[in-house]
Amino acid sequence: MRRLFSSLVDGRGFDLCLIGVPLAFLIVLSGVPLVYNVVMSFQAVDMFSLGSFIRPWVGFDNYRQLIAQPEFWPIMGQTATFLAASIAGQFLLGFALALFFWLNFPGASWLRGLFLVSWVMPGLVVGAVWNWLLSGDFGVFNFVLHELHIISGNVFWRSDPNFALWSVVIANVWLGTSFNMILLSVGLSSIPGDLYEAAELDGAGAFTRFWTITLPMMRSTIGALISLGLIFTLQQFDLFAAITSGGPNNSSNVAQYWAWDLSFKQYDFAKGAAISVIMIIVVMLASVYYVRSTRHEVRG
Amino acid sequence: MKTSAILGAVLYAGAAALGMTAQAADPVTITIWCQDDERQPGLNLAKEFGEKNPDIKVVYRQIHFDDVTSEAMRAYSTGQAPDIIAIDNPEHALFASHGVFLDLTDRIAKSAVIHKEDYFPGPLASVTWDSKLYGVPKATNTIALYYNADMFKAKGLDPDKPPQTWDELVDAARKLNDPAKNVYGIAFSAKASEEGTFQFLPWAQMTGGGFDKINTDGAVRALTIWKTLLDEKLASPDTLTRGQWDSTGTFNSGNAAMVISGPWELNRMSQEAKFDWRVALMPVPEVGAPRSSAMGDFNWAVFKSTKHPDEAFKALEYFVSQDPRVFPDWGQLAARANIDIPSTGDAKKDAAVKVFMEQLKYAQPRGPHPDWMKISKAIQDAIQSALAGQATPKDALDQAAETIKGILG
Repeated sequence: MRRLFSSLVDGRGFDLCLIGVPLAFLIVLSGVPLVYNVVMSFQAVDMFSLGSFIRPWVGFDNYRQLIAQPEFWPIMGQTATFLAASIAGQFLLGFALALFFWLNFPGASWLRGLFLVSWVMPGLVVGAVWNWLLSGDFGVFNFVLHELHIISGNVFWRSDPNFALWSVVIANVWLGTSFNMILLSVGLSSIPGDLYEAAELDGAGAFTRFWTITLPMMRSTIGALISLGLIFTLQQFDLFAAITSGGPNNSSNVAQYWAWDLSFKQYDFAKGAAISVIMIIVVMLASVYYVRSTRHEVRG
Repeated sequence: MKTSAILGAVLYAGAAALGMTAQAADPVTITIWCQDDERQPGLNLAKEFGEKNPDIKVVYRQIHFDDVTSEAMRAYSTGQAPDIIAIDNPEHALFASHGVFLDLTDRIAKSAVIHKEDYFPGPLASVTWDSKLYGVPKATNTIALYYNADMFKAKGLDPDKPPQTWDELVDAARKLNDPAKNVYGIAFSAKASEEGTFQFLPWAQMTGGGFDKINTDGAVRALTIWKTLLDEKLASPDTLTRGQWDSTGTFNSGNAAMVISGPWELNRMSQEAKFDWRVALMPVPEVGAPRSSAMGDFNWAVFKSTKHPDEAFKALEYFVSQDPRVFPDWGQLAARANIDIPSTGDAKKDAAVKVFMEQLKYAQPRGPHPDWMKISKAIQDAIQSALAGQATPKDALDQAAETIKGILG
């Protein structure tokens, strides 16, 4: 009894508790819904059987029907475009801003903090604001581009099938840049300054220093950031709901919005679950790649 | 010592809670779910019903429009459904056909307050499934053509003769269109949501089409006209992503000369629109063609799982008895033909309401069909792919008809 107690206070038992509590938390709040979702994607789900777990098993029917739908491949392609463009845009802009504020001019830390305001705003609010900015007839975005002589006529960002997806990308990049910037700023400040001093003494130029010191030292930060970006971008739903609703004609529809539309607009919960499962697999593959590619690093 | 004190406190709290439930179990509790807030009928009528019936405790829960159906389904499948719900009319059949709502046919037949024959045919059809009544229309609305009479005069059109037919409508839009002044000929909504279906379906119905025959020649002609309006830039390209409320906003601000929308705009328009606005019936395909229009708004229904069907029905009777107040107090239109609409003191508004009351006679429900949302999605996809130029109106509607055939089985 006493040994058990002492182990709990200071020993293996304590360690197990430390692991066990978050593990139980994860299982209850993430694991169970995840499994439930996977099971649901193999069942015939009637809206009134939502409350029960035992439902007719249909195997891969939901997936087969989903893939047979003409919009399936376009939507998957758009999801990939949205992911790549959003992550690239957020990361590059965020990195540029982080490097800029790293110069530590007067007021830099203040300004950096203010930038976070965009990230704190709820997605639906951001979406509503961008909805106005991007509106074709009287949008501010068109006005600015027009004044800069970049465009001559109005561009209907939300309603032109060629631009609709990009209008959401623009809003999403704006939304996520500051978060990237903050994490990258933290990464930058953890690089020891003497490395740069030594390099400068050896005659390395600014570009060489960036390429041989900054980037390699930031590797784990960048890896983590891109994985997080992948997850956040795949969760990005509010902007679609507020700006294009996936239209026109699905040209700005992506997997996450489609899953919601199927489940909660058309009440086809099983197919909605099937898309979510496909998304989970993509995220898992990406995280496995991330873990493997950074495994050899010693982090501390 | 400390532990026992806490234990004692817990026990005491438990006993108090028990005592409270015992007391609360005394009056009958009726739970009502509705999206209305204090400026709309649902909340006020529920509160009044509770005040007038001290033996009935009314619990009102306001639910956001987007969540009504999914909340109701979840609640029903876990056995926690409310007694009464206000449900959007195209969703009514889904619940009625699954035997989730209480069949009110006999109660309505015996009722001294609710009379089946008082209602407009459209709203009544939306509460009907398998020729039984599964609810009572709460309010109704429809769409018609708003137009800016000042712009009509400026462009040499007769403001007393608004467009009667589709061709006249396109013609008027061409004349009124004025890109130099940022004025579009017409505004409407072809959004990829229920709003798009709501606006398009009446056009198909006027030619004898419908959701089950969406690719008739008339429907193809309707979609071709929509496409003409967009291709010639007589309507904003943002019509594809803009809802009715925002589209009407451009009319109110003088950026569109006409708009197709409903009576829910009346209050905002009488405040915002600084010009002579009027309302005309929806133009028809050609002179003498049958009229049609969309039908919106909510129905009251009682869940089958209710423990107090009599009290719930009594609540519905009270709501219906207050129908005459729905317009003067809250600006909504009751779904009944036998209710006088008193003057609002705003001549433009009074004239507009008269047109909407006339238009309501031709309003048709969407469906009713349990899989309405899937049918609607097919129609939205057709509208959008045709207007975005990715398919011809004919091909798009053929595709929709094919999809809908699969849904109808």
